[in-house]
Amino acid sequence: MRDPRVESFAALLTGYSLGLREGQVVRIDAEESARPLVTELYRAALRRGALPYVQLRPAGLDEILLREGSEEQLAFISEGERVQTEQFDAWITLWSSSNTRALTRADPERRRIQLSAHYRMVNRRWERISAGELAWCGTLFPTNAHAQDAEMSLSEYEDFVFGACHVNRDQDPIEHWEAVSTELTARARALEGVRELRIVGPDTDLRVVVDGRPWLPSDGRHNMPDGEIFTSPVETGTEGEIYFAFPSIFQGREVEDVRLRFSEGRVVHAEASSGQDYLRALIGTDEGSAVLGEVAFGLNYEIDRFTRDILFDEKIGGTMHLALGGGFDEAGTRNKSDLHWDLICDLRRDGEVYADGELVWRAGSFITEPAMSGTGA
Amino acid sequence: MPDRLAKLADVLVGYSTAVRPGDVVRIEGHAPTTPLMRELYRAAVRAGGHPEALVIVDEAIEALLEEGSDDQLEWVPLDTRWNLEHGDVWIVLDGPENTKNLSGTDAAKMARRLKAREPYQQQYLERFARGEFRWVLCGFPTQASAQDAGMSVEEFEELIYGAAFLNEEDPVAAWESFGEELERVGSLLETKRELRVVAEDTDLTVGVAGRTWIRANGHSNLPDGEVFTGPIETSLDGTIRFSFPAMIRGRQAEDVVLRFEGGEVVEATARRGEEFLREMIGMDDGARRAGEFAFGLNRAVTEYTGSLLLDEKIGGTVHLALGRSVPGSGGTNESGLHWDMVCDLRRGGEVYADGELVYRDGAFLDGAG
Repeated sequence: MRDPRVESFAALLTGYSLGLREGQVVRIDAEESARPLVTELYRAALRRGALPYVQLRPAGLDEILLREGSEEQLAFISEGERVQTEQFDAWITLWSSSNTRALTRADPERRRIQLSAHYRMVNRRWERISAGELAWCGTLFPTNAHAQDAEMSLSEYEDFVFGACHVNRDQDPIEHWEAVSTELTARARALEGVRELRIVGPDTDLRVVVDGRPWLPSDGRHNMPDGEIFTSPVETGTEGEIYFAFPSIFQGREVEDVRLRFSEGRVVHAEASSGQDYLRALIGTDEGSAVLGEVAFGLNYEIDRFTRDILFDEKIGGTMHLALGGGFDEAGTRNKSDLHWDLICDLRRDGEVYADGELVWRAGSFITEPAMSGTGA
Repeated sequence: MPDRLAKLADVLVGYSTAVRPGDVVRIEGHAPTTPLMRELYRAAVRAGGHPEALVIVDEAIEALLEEGSDDQLEWVPLDTRWNLEHGDVWIVLDGPENTKNLSGTDAAKMARRLKAREPYQQQYLERFARGEFRWVLCGFPTQASAQDAGMSVEEFEELIYGAAFLNEEDPVAAWESFGEELERVGSLLETKRELRVVAEDTDLTVGVAGRTWIRANGHSNLPDGEVFTGPIETSLDGTIRFSFPAMIRGRQAEDVVLRFEGGEVVEATARRGEEFLREMIGMDDGARRAGEFAFGLNRAVTEYTGSLLLDEKIGGTVHLALGRSVPGSGGTNESGLHWDMVCDLRRGGEVYADGELVYRDGAFLDGAG
């Protein structure tokens, strides 16, 4: 049974996110449960004249390798993978886990070896993306495992995911996302020139210096759904305290009620109601992991709840998120770290944000302009 | 059941493809085969290899054949190309969800796709013949294949695992000892110049002088059990009627009769699928010639199942493939096609070698040669 929303999703991803053109080679990576979307993506890519191929992987292999592989096997990247990385024009990653916690108990050191080899390949891809040689988009296909994390039934979760991507209605989703892109670009431009943000909310009063840093829109090219504007703060400027009401998750492990105090850009105090040791260990990862690499506004108002998946959570309309660790080159960062951990601060009820002393945001939305993406559509 | 899958994985990794440390191992299979894929992945990791496993998406092939332009049909994906040109080991699991999913597709498009892949096919088979590449195609029992065989999936499992010698305590030892039987047949045939196959509506002569008979004992197929060669390309003369439907890529032709002259098919008929048969034979020049002639010798496969991998191994049959010959067999026929068709000789069939009766009712005669 073909779900028309999946067809619409595929048209959006190939037409808008990747902007596939005739003759372009596109690789579709997914776990086996994403097969319905893989099929529609393949067909949509064919219709655009592209040359699609699929890497559909069975679930449950990483845990075998992590348990039984030698270090050399864990770190292995095949020459074929390298060759493909240099040659494809577009690449789409579908997250569609059948068990989001399958690797939770794997040996962390062995996992680190595996991931660092993997990141070398990912970094090379990002070089090509930055150079404009490669289009990439990461998205999620709803499974029971993700629905379970979000505490929903699969069909409720499908409604949520397809709603957040705007593929569940008559309107052409491409038109919607083009409008979102225009709005986010305008919003990002409006923040250019701001020197300092002050975030005020429950147990929160934090100053983040963004002077001279470009604000960038995330408008559905690299993630779907999307809907945020972000920059990388000045490394030495963060001062004050912030409370994160949503659980903060890193590689499947949760830390609750995170409270951070910053001084001269660095975390000087960190506490949590659960997972405090893990929190402190992550902050201590390296020199850059106690410093912010990102500050962002979540502006997708069709994402209205926390679902334990950063793809959605960081875009919840009315939230801000701050990432500890590595920042973005295109946002002028100087902070380097192996960590990039997004922590989400809910500002929907009582939050206020001041830009150089002027109130610009209250109770989950900017006040200087009409509501942003989603609500007006 | 997991025990038997693990045992099968050990045969495929330890014996069929003999995975060595450092080998890049590509495991590919239809969605129902994922439990076996996991066991293969584990076995390959334990053997020191670098496995990757990929699920075949039938709907994508279907979409390609439905909607693909010529450029799209002829394009070979980067990963497929790399594997065939540079990979070390390729394990393919045939466990279909629907054996007829491509029945409605355009035969001309299918032919175009197959033709474009010919150079890569040729290349990996040559690499295999030189010992640089090891590959195996393994049958995996599914509801769909059981349905074609007219039995329950459990009955089909028994058939397929029995034919793969997995019920033996040591399947590898069983394959090795079966290899001795194949060796006897192969060395007999190697002394012969011409074979003549006689059965109902069948009288075909096949020149095999100087060609190599390959003993297939579980290295590139599982189940396995045949001895085959590439016949002399201009030699086939006469008529052959194939007892079982001729299957290829989810399509089939039934009751195929071929008449050869000077090695070339000059008449091809089928009770069903005749147009498809002609489209395939018309793919290129080589598609009208035989690239393989073989004796099926696996006595554990006794009945027709509609699964070619098994049917061509039925003890007491011969099969002939139109199209590409297999490197290493001495055959020189080139084509985008390699289409095996099976002729049952168990009831009254005879084979003469250089005029002498060597095979009757599905078995080589004692003292033949």
